[in-house]
Amino acid sequence: MTQTLTLTVNRQAHELAVAPDTPLLNVLRNDLALNGPKYGCGLGECGACSVLVDGMMARACVLPVSAVVGHEILTLEGLVIEGRLDPVQRAFIEAQAAQCGYCLNGMIISIRALLNHTPRPSMAQLRAALEYNLCRCGTHMEILEAAELAVTINAGESLEAPHE
Amino acid sequence: MSDRQPTAAGAELPKALASPERFGVVVRPPHYAWDGEHFASDHLVAIERDSVAGLPGRIEVVVEGDFVAVVADSLTAAQDAARNLRLEWRTASGKGHDGSPAMVAETARELANEASSRALPPHRHDYGWPSRLRWGDIPGWVVADCSDHCLTLWVQTLTPEALSQDLMALTGLPAERITLYGASPARASGLGRHCGDDAAMDAALMSRHLGYPVAVWLDAAYDRDRRALGQAQRITLNANVAKSGEITDYHYHQEHASGNIAAVGLWLCGKAPGRRIMTDDRALFSPYAFRKAHHAERRDAQGADPHSEGLAEIQQAFARESFLDEVARDTGQDPLALRLRHLDDARGTELISSVSRRARWGEPPSPTITPPDRLHGRGFAYAQLPDRHQRIPEGVRSAWIADVEVNRVTGEVALTRLVVGQDAGPEVDTSRLQQTLQARVLGSARPLLGHTPAFDEWGDGSESSGSHGGALMETTTPPETGAGSTSLPMPLHEADLSPGVAVIANALFDATGVRFRQPPFTASRVRRALQDPGNPLQGADNGGPARRSGRRWLKVAALTAVASTAAMAWPWKGAIAPIQRPAANLYSAETIERGRLVAAAGDCAACHTAEGGRENAGGRAFETPFGTLYSTNLTPDEGTGIGRWSYAAFERAMRHGIGRDGRHLYPAFPYTAFAKISDADMQALYAYLMAQPAVSAEAPANALSFPFNMRPLLAGWNALYHDPRPFEPSPTQSDLYNRGAYLAEGLGHCSACHTPRNAMGAERRGEHALAGAMVDGWEAPPLNQLSRSPIPWSEAALYDYLRHGGSSLHGVASGPMAPVVAGLGELPEYDVRALAHYVAVQMGAPAGDSDAISAEASALLAAARSGPSDMEEGERLFEGACAACHLDTGTPSFSSAKTSLALNTNLYSEHPDNVIQSILSGTHAEHVPGVGNMPSFADSFSDSQVATLTAYLRARFAPDQAPWQDIASRVATIRQYNNNTPSPHP
Repeated sequence: MTQTLTLTVNRQAHELAVAPDTPLLNVLRNDLALNGPKYGCGLGECGACSVLVDGMMARACVLPVSAVVGHEILTLEGLVIEGRLDPVQRAFIEAQAAQCGYCLNGMIISIRALLNHTPRPSMAQLRAALEYNLCRCGTHMEILEAAELAVTINAGESLEAPHE
Repeated sequence: MSDRQPTAAGAELPKALASPERFGVVVRPPHYAWDGEHFASDHLVAIERDSVAGLPGRIEVVVEGDFVAVVADSLTAAQDAARNLRLEWRTASGKGHDGSPAMVAETARELANEASSRALPPHRHDYGWPSRLRWGDIPGWVVADCSDHCLTLWVQTLTPEALSQDLMALTGLPAERITLYGASPARASGLGRHCGDDAAMDAALMSRHLGYPVAVWLDAAYDRDRRALGQAQRITLNANVAKSGEITDYHYHQEHASGNIAAVGLWLCGKAPGRRIMTDDRALFSPYAFRKAHHAERRDAQGADPHSEGLAEIQQAFARESFLDEVARDTGQDPLALRLRHLDDARGTELISSVSRRARWGEPPSPTITPPDRLHGRGFAYAQLPDRHQRIPEGVRSAWIADVEVNRVTGEVALTRLVVGQDAGPEVDTSRLQQTLQARVLGSARPLLGHTPAFDEWGDGSESSGSHGGALMETTTPPETGAGSTSLPMPLHEADLSPGVAVIANALFDATGVRFRQPPFTASRVRRALQDPGNPLQGADNGGPARRSGRRWLKVAALTAVASTAAMAWPWKGAIAPIQRPAANLYSAETIERGRLVAAAGDCAACHTAEGGRENAGGRAFETPFGTLYSTNLTPDEGTGIGRWSYAAFERAMRHGIGRDGRHLYPAFPYTAFAKISDADMQALYAYLMAQPAVSAEAPANALSFPFNMRPLLAGWNALYHDPRPFEPSPTQSDLYNRGAYLAEGLGHCSACHTPRNAMGAERRGEHALAGAMVDGWEAPPLNQLSRSPIPWSEAALYDYLRHGGSSLHGVASGPMAPVVAGLGELPEYDVRALAHYVAVQMGAPAGDSDAISAEASALLAAARSGPSDMEEGERLFEGACAACHLDTGTPSFSSAKTSLALNTNLYSEHPDNVIQSILSGTHAEHVPGVGNMPSFADSFSDSQVATLTAYLRARFAPDQAPWQDIASRVATIRQYNNNTPSPHP
């Protein structure tokens, strides 16, 4: 049963004719061609599909699209503002923290969500935040390195211009 | 907190009134009442001031006589303190505060003797007038400032003179030192007082004690004062009628002195002035000449103020003109002709004839098709108004004809046409009279007009009771016009309205056959009267209105007889003749809208819609211990739906479980609960269903095992287990409770799932009511004191759960409860509060969550931080599949579970079923945004993995509970059940 819903994705409103119980991930990838979020397990277990909803982490594969009407959705693509990458994205590039890269969307989104809430997390807090983001290549050490770097870059940027 | 303070834009309003900083709430005695002669109440014996000493903020208790109030920094704080304040009351003795009970008793006896010593003429009726017409117009602040030997008030009042008198009695101040500022269109009519005066007295009492301004919130809570103050006036009329139809003997007895009943606070503090009442046989003025007439009036010996005199005139005209109308109709005469034959006055006769011509009295209404839920009626009333020198015989003659339209389902009355003729004086502004009467007597001119919330009231206005929503507060600030105690340029004189109330009562009788002998005629009163089995319209042809005719009054008596016979000869098991499908627009839009709410509360569509099917077209399968049943098509399709069902057939099915063709319906259809639905709601539901698009869909044949496939056996089942009586509100319970009980026991059919059934499939009674049961492969947990929730429920938590689909201390609605919450989303706020209140009472739950509850929750969360060490496989499954959403990682998450599993009732249940179901099916609450979006793990876990995980969850999150025993077999059974029953969420 298709309905017309309005979604705010990456600061832009989209009117979409979709069934209200369609997973958000499907709408982002198929209807809006935003392929940053990945399809992993489809059960909310691995984190590859993560997006930000109102600045909080959300697993897009288990969220029906009707649940996010009226909320602000940001995908990996939306972290880029006027061509400038988010501090967390820059840290991952700098640390070259990728093997196959499939999980990186979820890693970056999770750290962004944590930093929105806790600007100076400890290593233990970073580990806890990433605990349920699965990586099959074994890049965990590089990812943690990137996460630490992200904290530093982010803190520096915050001094210059407060992050939203 | 949402305590918005009153603000005034008006420059002249004193600052003290515009922004009060202290808020008061009264604590009334358990029992207090005005019985027509005196006021009696319980007496205050002791007050434990310590009981509010520990509360935050500055709290002051005001006590004067039996008047008790609490004043605090916010309304909420004052309400809290009022709830906590411990008081001891002594039950009222017979004597009241009235100064001269002995004397009153004597005069009452006199009247009684007089009445019994004569043979009474055969026509006799009593007419009443309430002490308070309603609690108020809209919820709002009342502020009093009593300081420097002055009293100023911000108040809604209809009767500033009466209120001023009360305040003078309280303070001893002269009138010029009392100033009333008001939001009400003061003196828009003099039909009597409302509880704004009682709230004003309360505020004045508090401010006088404390010496600073105090604000009191006036809302439907003051309806208690209205009920306690009862009747201000009762007038008894007797008449003898000769065979010719002439009234030969006419008696008029006024029981009470014209009713200006002082404010409740004044009675309680013992300062209400005693009244010296005397019986007066001086002839009251009557415009009619009867062969023999006797008038007895009781009046205040000190003389009454002009306002009370005006009110007395209205009351007299109401009783007299209603009575003449009744006599006319009882004796088969035209009400207007009866008046004319007793009118020995050329001016009056000419006026009545002219008004009658102008209004086309006696002509049948134009033949327009009206909806069957609409009734029309016309009434007449006549009076003679005093002239400039207060002389009635020389005064203006005034003849009124009114047309009303009554919605027999909602009870709303509209004054559709008013013709008023007067033979002298300035032109009458009929549209203004019409508006005034509509607002004051019928009470449906504006939303939020204070009618009594009835148990089957839907939304309109009842929002004002219950909690104090922030939105309501906004409507209550003083108006921008600022000060001024009269905002209408030219107040109506009381007497101008004197035939107005009777003319409506007479028109209402013409429309409905019900005689209303006391104003106001609000929607809920009208509806209740229409549903009274004694009403001739009840049980009439197929729920349509009684046939209209030009001279209905000749037929009313006969109709009553026929209708009651028809009700007795209800064709119990026979077929009810099919009818032509009613047109979709047959019923009025208001009735259909009410029906939509009824359908939402009853959640018809949940059962009567098949997976992927059209709404209410039926075909959904139900597995029962007796076989498979399929729900039927509720759309008005003539072939496969209920299109050819008359209202009578529909009602019989709903109340007695018998289909139109006379076949018994299976009690999977909860007619046992639906029997409790009120008549008005039943009709509205019929109207709604008949207005929906017809869908042709034949339900599959039921597959029941023998002997359950023998429908006639159900007659015996019904005799044993079915009580078809409609819901009766309990007089000892609050309106909120009764509304909740009506919704829960009737439409909401909570017990259909939450009450265990016996071997014959009947709900068990007594202590088993709402004791929890298994349904549809899920457990419906106990809603009574057997609740096994790890954290005890509170009324506030129940409200959150029912309104928003989840409570932070208990988890979310899932399984078959999810569509129930979605259905409740259609219902007004008040209804959901009422449901929560009712369930809370069943559970013995407190109103809110205390700090102790929060501490208990924290302890449970701490205990579940790590799992048992010896369940490695379970832990691995949990970490892999569940932990990402069910454990707190420190990262704020939008999609994770909002409530820890440690607080989840399902893990504390005796049965593992709901945990297994949640894993296999996931949890979904469609149409309830943001709640419960757990995916199904049926395809990723084997039965043994589900069992291992379930055992682990129990051990980790309900560590003090015994392990479940038969998990593996339950998993297999439930999976098989789910596979056989197409789930709405594949």
